[in-house]
Amino acid sequence: MLTLYRPGTGWLHRAPAGAKALVILAAVLTVSLLPSTYPFAAIALGSALVAYLVTGFGVAVLARQLVGLRWVILITLGAQLIFLPTEPAVANTSRVVGAVLIASLLVLSTRVVDLLDAFERGLGPLRRVGIDPARVSLVLAITMTTIPVLTRVATSIREAQRARGAGRGIRSFIIPFLVLSLKHADDLGDALTARGAA
Amino acid sequence: MTPGAAASPGILTLTHASVHLGDQLALDDVSVNLDQPRIAVIGSNGSGKSTFARLLGGLVTASAGTVSVHGLDPTRQSTEFRRAVGFIFSNPDAQIIMPTVAEDAAFSLRADRLRKAESAARVTAALERFGLADLADRPAHDLSGGQKQLLALCGALIREPRLVIADEPTAYLDARNSRLIADHLLGDASRQLVLVTHDLALAACCDVAVLFEGGRMIASGHPTEIIGRYESSLAC
Repeated sequence: MLTLYRPGTGWLHRAPAGAKALVILAAVLTVSLLPSTYPFAAIALGSALVAYLVTGFGVAVLARQLVGLRWVILITLGAQLIFLPTEPAVANTSRVVGAVLIASLLVLSTRVVDLLDAFERGLGPLRRVGIDPARVSLVLAITMTTIPVLTRVATSIREAQRARGAGRGIRSFIIPFLVLSLKHADDLGDALTARGAA
Repeated sequence: MTPGAAASPGILTLTHASVHLGDQLALDDVSVNLDQPRIAVIGSNGSGKSTFARLLGGLVTASAGTVSVHGLDPTRQSTEFRRAVGFIFSNPDAQIIMPTVAEDAAFSLRADRLRKAESAARVTAALERFGLADLADRPAHDLSGGQKQLLALCGALIREPRLVIADEPTAYLDARNSRLIADHLLGDASRQLVLVTHDLALAACCDVAVLFEGGRMIASGHPTEIIGRYESSLAC
């Protein structure tokens, strides 16, 4: 699910979004740059475990995140085992998993609105070169909410194809999908205008 | 207040307004003044009623004639106009902008640049009013159709507009949710309502009805009379 935020009142939830994002970014970079050895692989995963414990999310939330990452773990590890010895392959995968788990703390503890506000503030200096940070953050938000809508559109087209006895042809899928996606984009544009955002 | 009436300072005033959508004339020379609190707009599919609503809502511009809503020109005074007018679409999916229920309600207040505490208090109050408080942190797109439309209504009304335009807001809803949405829309006399609907029972609850056919506004008056005229035109 694209919305990962978990309501809470802990210190990480209360921390300002901008400062929190910077600290988590620094932690993610640190874990990413650890050497590719077993001890550092343990440090990467151990850091993620400690981070979930001290922020109050606990082992259960960490386990759920790991389940969500199962395909990333399998693909990352599998692909590297083809080209690398076992130790760097396992260590690299551990660093990736550790970094993603730590990065997830940001979205678990911060509402999208607060993230977008922080993002907007961070991009503030770009106004001088003609970039509107509010529009950039709005595009990010719309992207997040549009993905489930388009997934539903795709499902309904496949169902309609099946109901009419059509096969799973790509052409008979793509054209209605594009038409409905453009219709949704039109409707969304109207909604943004109506809600005072355009 | 009759079709083709000369413009006078009504709350919603259209003067010889026409709208072209591509090559098609979607609205043809509509002139009317409407100052009643609840206005029903009825007519067949493709009759021009949605274009009329979108014109009043500033979502399309008149290719000829003028539009004035509460004294505001939708094109030239767009900022003030957006504060004064809320719009609700038939498909709530297209109105949800933010990932969660509370965030989507708060989105409508972003343009007002309120303090965080004030914005949060208004969101909480609005969600409670629409029975969505328990769903505040739920992903908005996981809601049922009725809950989504309530959220869309919440997003439009949280800014306390003076006029709400609802374009077939109950089209996708079951009877219970239709009733709930209708109660919210019709129950508050503090704001004006333009309700585009195929539900003639809802239209009958309004103070005035206008009837569209072939892009023209062919009648306006008491809902009972206008609905009767519409129904007689449907007789086989």
